[in-house]
Amino acid sequence: MSQAEVRKARYRMGRLERKNTLVAYSFLAPNFIGFAVFTLVPVICAILLSLFEWNGGDISKLKFVGLDNYATIFATKKVAEKGIGYFFNRADLGIALKNTVYYTVVTVPLTIVCALALALLLNKIKGAVFFRTVFFFPYVSSMVAICVCWSFMLMKDGPVNQLIMALGIDFNKSWTADSTMAIWSIILVSVWRNMGYYMVLYLAALQGIPRELMEAATVDGANKWQQFLHVTLPQLKPTTFFVSVMMVISCFKIYDVVAIMTDGGPGRATKMLVTYIYDEAFVKIRYGQASAISMVLLVIVLAVTIIQFGSEKKFSND
Amino acid sequence: MKKLLAVLLAAMMLVMAISAMAEANQILTVVTWDATTTPYLIAQKEAFEASHPGVTIEYVDVASQDYAVKTTTMLEGGDTSDVYMIKEIDNLINWQAQGFAAPLDTTGYDMSGFVGTEKNYAVDGVQYAIPFRSDFWVLFYNKDLFDAAGVAYPTNDMTWDQYAELARKLTDKEKGIYGTHYHTWLSAVVNWAVCGGQYTLADGTYDNLLYFYKLYQDLEDAGACMSYADLKAAGLHYSAAFANGNIAMLPMGYWYVSTLIGYNKDGTCSFNWGITAVPHADGVDAGSSFGNLTGAMINAKSEKKDLAWEYISWLGGPEGAKATASVGARPAWVSEDVAGAMSSVEGFPADETSKGALLPAGVAMEWPVAEKVSDIKTIVNEEHSLIMAREVTPEEGIEEMNERVKELFE
Repeated sequence: MSQAEVRKARYRMGRLERKNTLVAYSFLAPNFIGFAVFTLVPVICAILLSLFEWNGGDISKLKFVGLDNYATIFATKKVAEKGIGYFFNRADLGIALKNTVYYTVVTVPLTIVCALALALLLNKIKGAVFFRTVFFFPYVSSMVAICVCWSFMLMKDGPVNQLIMALGIDFNKSWTADSTMAIWSIILVSVWRNMGYYMVLYLAALQGIPRELMEAATVDGANKWQQFLHVTLPQLKPTTFFVSVMMVISCFKIYDVVAIMTDGGPGRATKMLVTYIYDEAFVKIRYGQASAISMVLLVIVLAVTIIQFGSEKKFSND
Repeated sequence: MKKLLAVLLAAMMLVMAISAMAEANQILTVVTWDATTTPYLIAQKEAFEASHPGVTIEYVDVASQDYAVKTTTMLEGGDTSDVYMIKEIDNLINWQAQGFAAPLDTTGYDMSGFVGTEKNYAVDGVQYAIPFRSDFWVLFYNKDLFDAAGVAYPTNDMTWDQYAELARKLTDKEKGIYGTHYHTWLSAVVNWAVCGGQYTLADGTYDNLLYFYKLYQDLEDAGACMSYADLKAAGLHYSAAFANGNIAMLPMGYWYVSTLIGYNKDGTCSFNWGITAVPHADGVDAGSSFGNLTGAMINAKSEKKDLAWEYISWLGGPEGAKATASVGARPAWVSEDVAGAMSSVEGFPADETSKGALLPAGVAMEWPVAEKVSDIKTIVNEEHSLIMAREVTPEEGIEEMNERVKELFE
């Protein structure tokens, strides 16, 4: 080949490459543009907005206040005066944070246990398809309808309390109007609604466990429990990892169930981070302060995700 | 050439005709709540369109419970609807601060009939909205239940203690009859403390509410009203509860009159009912009540501000007031004509007590316009829900209200 031919070939290759790259970008573009317009830009705006005081209206009314919004939501003045207990017991952010963490810590493991139990149960029994549909149904139903139904079920004389009374436990309080039970009614509805979805994920994972492993375990004389503990559970690790990451993030963003069932009440018993953001932004029209709270939420979710991904290796199969 | 000219002329005439038609048929968009089910909105639209040929009122309907949030979002988004109705006074104060409300030129506009209520819509002496409805709270009662129990009807000068006694007397657990009914709102249970105008909920101390919380809890304990926890969980609306016919008394806003008249007409309920002034506390004049204003403002982004002014000035004035009163709602414009129109509405109870209840001795504002009032509202409502659900005693709850509102201003 002459030099000219080599150059020509190279040029052709380069053109092909460029073309391929362009094609790849064009495939990515719709997703990226969507992400940029609806997620990236708003996030950047929120970060900036958290440094301003803005009660809506004209943009000219933006007033730079530095970290004042953060000082307000963390009640720094009061905390300095009365100690950190003040933050968690009296400040709105502290209470919302406490409630959200409590809700997440209970809901995530509970949902995983329920979803896994259902998946194991429905893996091989007769009529599994029917039951799978039944358990998946809540996930595709309207959230509002679900919450309204559960509100009725959890009334003072509702079916749930009658069941509890029939078991001999004296309990006749309305769940959603009681400050200790209200958060549990939210947890109950969340677990009940989401377990069907995660069950499907676990079912798929169960199908993927090689049969030889089970057979080998049986030959080695492992009983059902040992098989589950030493074969099934380790094989499900990646799924459990995925499920827990997704759930923790979605739990921190809990809003709809609370808004419909308790509206953050009674008192502040079910005030969550997102309901607090909503109140500040759209009821009290303080966008700056609301943005500051959403930054707190962002940092928490980010931190949790980084920790979880950091420990990903432990969860992988090999 | 001639042909071309003819075509051009014809085209010009067509354009002129179309623009004339467009002018003759102007559409004014008005943002409001529950437009299809609120009788006075329908009556106002009909009356305005009849007296202003060529103008069509088009309502933009927003769900009432989300009204403040949704309308603020609409205005933020640059919505150009011409007129916004105002549900609560502090909404207007916020919107004015945000630059959404167009200032009104009221020179030459007679506002005497508003008896001073219009000042709630003025900021620094500039009027930003016109009131057209002024509701105050009254006591509704089911005459049939009083007759069946052989008890005399309540009167316009009853005290709260007499009211509680009546409620107990009328309660019949076997028949499932409740002596009274409290809706879950703060206003339905303890807002009575502001009647008489000596005290407002933004004053920062809440000891005045104690008497009313105790009164309520005693009645709930006696089974004379449904429990708060159940009402909250079931989301039972007061209108359906009273229309059921097993509730003897209901303290509620005057707006419920037009709903009840409608219910009587369409057969939702058929019992006889009447109204009296709300009971009064010691040291407060009989007939004192509290209430709220409803008004309309012009969107600063509206392109038809003249027509919008024509509409809201009509709406608040005597003509609009007649339309509002014609279906049993209470207009902000007060005059003998209007009072006559209110009591002569078909379906309005004919007795003298009910007519007497139309003239309250004084109407205090449910919530005053004050600094940080939206924060105070949140705090008081949060503690209210705890007291009502019996999570804390009224004394504890009130102490918390005092403490938290104090912290707000530190």
